[in-house]
Amino acid sequence: MTTAHDALHAPAHDHAHEEHHVSFVQRWFYATNHKDIGTLYLWFAFSMFITGGIMALCIRAELFQPGLQFWQPDFFNQLTTLHGVIMVFGAIMPAFTGLANWMLPLMIGAPDMAFARMNNWSFWLLPPAAALLLISFFVPGGAAAGGWTLYPPLSIQAGMGMDLAIFAIHLLGLSSIMGSINIVTTVLNMRAPGMTMLKMPLFGWTMLITAYLLIAVAPVLAGAVTMLLTDRHFDTHFFKAIGGGDPVLFQHIFWFFGHPEVYIMALPAFGIVSQIIPTFARKPLFGYVSMVYATCSIAILSFMVWGHHMFAVGMPASTQLFFMFLTMLIAVPTGVKVFNWIATMWQGSMTFETPMLFSIGFVCLFTIGGFSGLILAIAPVDTQMQDTYYVVAHFHYVLVAGALFTLFAATYYWLPKWTGNMYHEGRGQFHFWWSMVWFNVTFFPMHFLGLAGMPRRIPDYALQFTDFNAIASIGAFCFGLGQIFFLFNVIHTIRGGVGKAPAKPWEGANTLEWEVPSPAPHHTWETPPSLEMVEKGLKAQGLLGDHHE
Amino acid sequence: MQSTLQQANRKLAIRMMVIACLMFGFGYAMVPFYGALCKAMGIDRANSDFANTSAAVIRVEFDTNVDTGLAASLIALDPVLAAKPGGLLKARFRLINKSDQPLKVRAIPSYAPARAAGLLQKLECFCFDGLTLAANEQRDVMVVLLVANELPEELGAATLSYTLHPELKS
Ligand code: HEM
Ligand SMILES: [Cu+2]
Repeated sequence: MTTAHDALHAPAHDHAHEEHHVSFVQRWFYATNHKDIGTLYLWFAFSMFITGGIMALCIRAELFQPGLQFWQPDFFNQLTTLHGVIMVFGAIMPAFTGLANWMLPLMIGAPDMAFARMNNWSFWLLPPAAALLLISFFVPGGAAAGGWTLYPPLSIQAGMGMDLAIFAIHLLGLSSIMGSINIVTTVLNMRAPGMTMLKMPLFGWTMLITAYLLIAVAPVLAGAVTMLLTDRHFDTHFFKAIGGGDPVLFQHIFWFFGHPEVYIMALPAFGIVSQIIPTFARKPLFGYVSMVYATCSIAILSFMVWGHHMFAVGMPASTQLFFMFLTMLIAVPTGVKVFNWIATMWQGSMTFETPMLFSIGFVCLFTIGGFSGLILAIAPVDTQMQDTYYVVAHFHYVLVAGALFTLFAATYYWLPKWTGNMYHEGRGQFHFWWSMVWFNVTFFPMHFLGLAGMPRRIPDYALQFTDFNAIASIGAFCFGLGQIFFLFNVIHTIRGGVGKAPAKPWEGANTLEWEVPSPAPHHTWETPPSLEMVEKGLKAQGLLGDHHE
Repeated sequence: MQSTLQQANRKLAIRMMVIACLMFGFGYAMVPFYGALCKAMGIDRANSDFANTSAAVIRVEFDTNVDTGLAASLIALDPVLAAKPGGLLKARFRLINKSDQPLKVRAIPSYAPARAAGLLQKLECFCFDGLTLAANEQRDVMVVLLVANELPEELGAATLSYTLHPELKS
C-alpha cells in the first residue's frame, strides 16, 4: 500500500518540474496526456453546448408568439437542424468521451489511454468540424435545413451548406471511431491486476459498450451521408426517386445508426449515476451483474428497433408489430436499471450533495422520458404523434434530463479531483434546483402541445398553441441563464473554490480514482495500483466475496 | 512486458478498424439487401413483380363531395362499377347548380389507395377543366378510365373520389 503510494507520487513530482518547461501550445495542442485531452474535450463540449443552446433560444424566441417575428422560415429550419446536430455530435457525445478520457484510466488503474497520439487526433478533428458547421450559416443557401435526420429529398436539393454538414459529419464520425477504439482497448487491456471485467466500475462497462456501439454504427452514418453526397454531385441514385432510388431507404440506413445513437447518449449517463448513487447512499450498487447484463441487452436490442422511427412511411402491419413489441422490450432492461438505482438508495444513509441531486433528478426525469417513449412505441399512437411536439418533449426528457443532467452530476462529482478544490455546495444545489424547475417548465408543456397536434420544426403555429408556447419559451430562457451560473461555479472552483479538496472528498466513494491525490497529478498509475488497494476498493463496493449486507 | 501490451493493443485496434470498415460497407450493402429482403418477405406489395395478369375483376367505387357553402351538388350515377384488366370504364355523374346565379366550379379527384392512380388512368374527365353552370342548370358529365393490363392481386377495390370546389378566379 505504502509502496504503491510512493510510486504514485514520485513521477507526479517529477512531472510537476517538467511542466514548467512545457509551453501552453505544447501542453494543449500537442496534448497526449489523457487528463489534458479530457479537459480539452470537456471545454469543447461546453462551448458547443452554449452554441447549440443559443440556437435553441433563437428557436424559442420565435415560438414565443404565433406569427413570424425574428426569422424567415428557412433560417428557422437551419436553426433547428444545427441545434440538433451540434447538441448531439458537438456537446453530448464529446462530453462523454472527455469524461471517459479523464476518468477511465484513473478508475481502472491504467497510466493513460492505450493510444495517446491517436487520442490527440480524435480531439483535434472536432474543432474543424464545428467550424464547418458554423461557417455553413454564411455560405449561399445557408446551413443545412433538413432537420438533424437529413431526410432526402430535402437534403438532396439543399444548397452547399449540406455539403459542409456532410463533411463535418465525416470528421465527427472519424473522431468518434478513433475515440472508441481507444476506449475499448484501454478497458480491455489495461485494467489493474485483480480487476476482472465483472469487477470494474460500471462507468467502465457502459463506456465500453457505448464505444462498441459507436464502432458499429458511426460508419453506417458515414456511409449514408456519403451516398447523399454522391447523389447530390456524382449522379448516383441511391435515394433520388427520379433515377429509381428510394428515399425511404435513407431512413432505414439513417435510423439503423440513429436509434443506437440515442443509447450512445444514454448508456454513459447510466454509468455515471451508477457511480454516484452508491457513493451518496453509502451502499454498494444493488445488482451489479444485472446492471451489466441490462446494459448489454439494451445495446443489442437497440440495433433491432430502428423501424419505430418509420411507422408513418407505410409499413405492413406485421412489420409495425415487430418493431413495436421489440421497442417495448427495451423497457425491461431499462426498468431493471431504474429499480436497481432505487434499491441502491433504499435504506442507505443518503446525503444530497449536488451530484446526488442531479443523479436523482436524472432517475425521475429519465423515467418520464422513458414512459413517453413507451407510448410513442405503440404504432397506432405513433402515427398520430409522429413529428409533433410530444416527440420533442420526449427526446428532451431523455437527452437533457438524461445526458445533460448526468454530465452536470459528473462534473460536480469529479470537479474536486480535477481541480483540487471544492465547489461551493450551495451554488451547486441552486444550479440543480434552478435547472430542475425550468427544465420542466420548458419541456412539460410540450407534451400538451404535441397531444393537441402542434407539429415540430415550424416557425409559426395556430393560435390555440400560444399559451403553452409562451410558457415553454420563458422556461427555456431561464434554463439557459442557469447554465451561465454553472460556468461561473466551475470557474470559481478552478480558482480555488471554497478550499482544497482531500483525495477522497466523498465519504462513500470507493473506486480507484479517489486513491490518488486531488488534483490528480499529471501522471498517475505509472505503477499499477497494488492488489491490496484494488481489493480494498472492490470489497467496499460489494464486488468481492465476503461483503454482506 | 510493456511491448507485449503494446502489441496486444495494436492487434485489438486493428481488429476494430476492420469492423468499422466492414460496417461502412454494410451501410452500402443495405441498398440491395433491403430490396431483396422486402421481396423475399413479401413486404413491398406495391412492387410490379407482384402484378398478376390473371387477376379477376377490380371493383371501382365512385365517391362525391361538395365544398361547404357551395350551392351545388354532384351525384355519382354509377356509384360502383366492375372492370377487367386492360378494359375501359365509363362512369356518369350529375352536376346541379342549386343557385340562381351562374356558377364556376371544378372537381378535384383523388384515389384511394393512392397507387390506384397509376393503374386506373383517366382518358377523359370532367375534372380536366373548370366548368361553368348556368343558373339552376343540371348537366350530366362523364369520366373514362383505362384499366391497367396487370393489376396487383391484392388490389381488389379502389375508390375514386371527386370534390367540387368553386373555381378560383384567374
Ligand atoms: C437545454 C435547452 C434546450 C432547449 C431549450 C431546446 C429546445 C429545442 C427546440 C425548441 C427544438 C426544436 C423543436 C422543433 O421545432 O422540432 C429542439 C430540437 C432538438 N433538440 Fe433541443 N433543446 C435543448 C437542449 C438539447 C440538448 C441538450 C440536446 C441533446 C442532444 C437537444 C437535441 C435536440 C434535437 C436532436 C432536436 C431535433 C432537431 C430537429 O428537429 O432536427 N436539445 N430543441
Ligand atoms: Cu429509436
